[in-house]
Amino acid sequence: MKYLFAFVGSFFAVVFAASVMPYVKVLGVAPDLVLIFAACWAMIRGQREAMVVVPVAGLLRDLTTSDPVGTSVLALSPIVLLAVVRELRPLESDFLPALAVVATASLAYALISMTVLTAVGEDVPWGTALLRVALPSILVNPLFTVIVYPPMRWLSPRPKVEGFGVGSAVRL
Amino acid sequence: MRLLWWTLVVVIVSLTSIILSENRTLDPLQNLSLTITTPLENGLRDLAEPVSDFFQGLFNRGDLVRENERLRQELERLRTQAAATEDTEQRLQDLEEALGVKKGQPDNEFVIADVIAQDPSGFKRALAIDRGSNDGLDEGMVVLSKSGSLVGTVSLVYDEFSWLRLVSDPSSAVNIAVLSGDEQGSEPRGVATGDLRTGLSLELLPTGAQIAEGDLVTTSGLGGNYPSALLLGSVKSVEEKPQALSKRATLEPAADLSSLDTVLIITNFRPARLSGP
Repeated sequence: MKYLFAFVGSFFAVVFAASVMPYVKVLGVAPDLVLIFAACWAMIRGQREAMVVVPVAGLLRDLTTSDPVGTSVLALSPIVLLAVVRELRPLESDFLPALAVVATASLAYALISMTVLTAVGEDVPWGTALLRVALPSILVNPLFTVIVYPPMRWLSPRPKVEGFGVGSAVRL
Repeated sequence: MRLLWWTLVVVIVSLTSIILSENRTLDPLQNLSLTITTPLENGLRDLAEPVSDFFQGLFNRGDLVRENERLRQELERLRTQAAATEDTEQRLQDLEEALGVKKGQPDNEFVIADVIAQDPSGFKRALAIDRGSNDGLDEGMVVLSKSGSLVGTVSLVYDEFSWLRLVSDPSSAVNIAVLSGDEQGSEPRGVATGDLRTGLSLELLPTGAQIAEGDLVTTSGLGGNYPSALLLGSVKSVEEKPQALSKRATLEPAADLSSLDTVLIITNFRPARLSGP
């Protein structure tokens, strides 16, 4: 069931990304809703689920863009590796690490996409693309994560309480 | 260990998909996915304009003030020009004749298409349209705005859908002529290339070319990939570097490339790359 939700969420993120988001440009770039959705899922639900959700989101995105199919799957895959931050719990809050993961994933996405596009013969101006697209997206995507993360966190099932009293374990 | 295997599988599957996609094996799948998403995207695009206005106002206030000032100046300039309309018309007629527009421009046949999506990647300037090879479209065909100015070419064709590469895409290069207003009636030639920063740049213009802001820029027809005398836009600013080997300028496209909703594809002009040797 959870993967059905992930599929529907990814689908709508993809549709919004191709229709509405190009109109929502901040610092010259449109926020990448698919990346934000996949990264938030990974940070809220963990690496195991991210291993399924990230490729699905990437594939759906690939099918509705002019990029070769597989580009987004590859470019979004660092999210799964970055989701290890959730297990490490560097901070008490989950939210700030999520912002850091989105920012890092944005840079990784840009670099991998540009590499793939260059490899298939597209003319990618690396200097301008890094300066005008990749760097702004590091700021813009976390900015929109502030809107996407809280409802996703709220909709995610609450932690299960496994026992009562002193020493009871809480599993997320 | 599981993560390592996962990474390995994803990399192999992705690279295989990329290769298959480049061989056009996955085109039916992409055509199907666009068929499914198009109705939703069309509906959402209609709702997107108010959202766009909101964000423009929120984040680009400074730009809007500058744009307003620029438009005010432009209006003043146009009013001045209007006073000399007869003169201008005569000059345009002369230029048109010189270009052979009237003689050389065949009666074009068009396919009208609606824009259904924009490529969300920031590295490309591409639009999806609801016409494909079933409607007679082919890669390389020239695409115009509703008002007839050049906006790009067809870059990828599926059965019922296509992707357009806009002239502002970094991969785009169009041979152009600048209709400069100097006394000699010269038409400096160059190349208009897409630019992620400025939108459109004019390059390889002769250093001695007399180019001014507002000069019209049209396709020159050189290379055979575009018909001649299609309006592309007007010169926005000229970069003066005395020691440069060629002159550069930026171009304001005649069509608003960010809000195209309908486009025309010329189907009876065969670009050189489609015609073959």
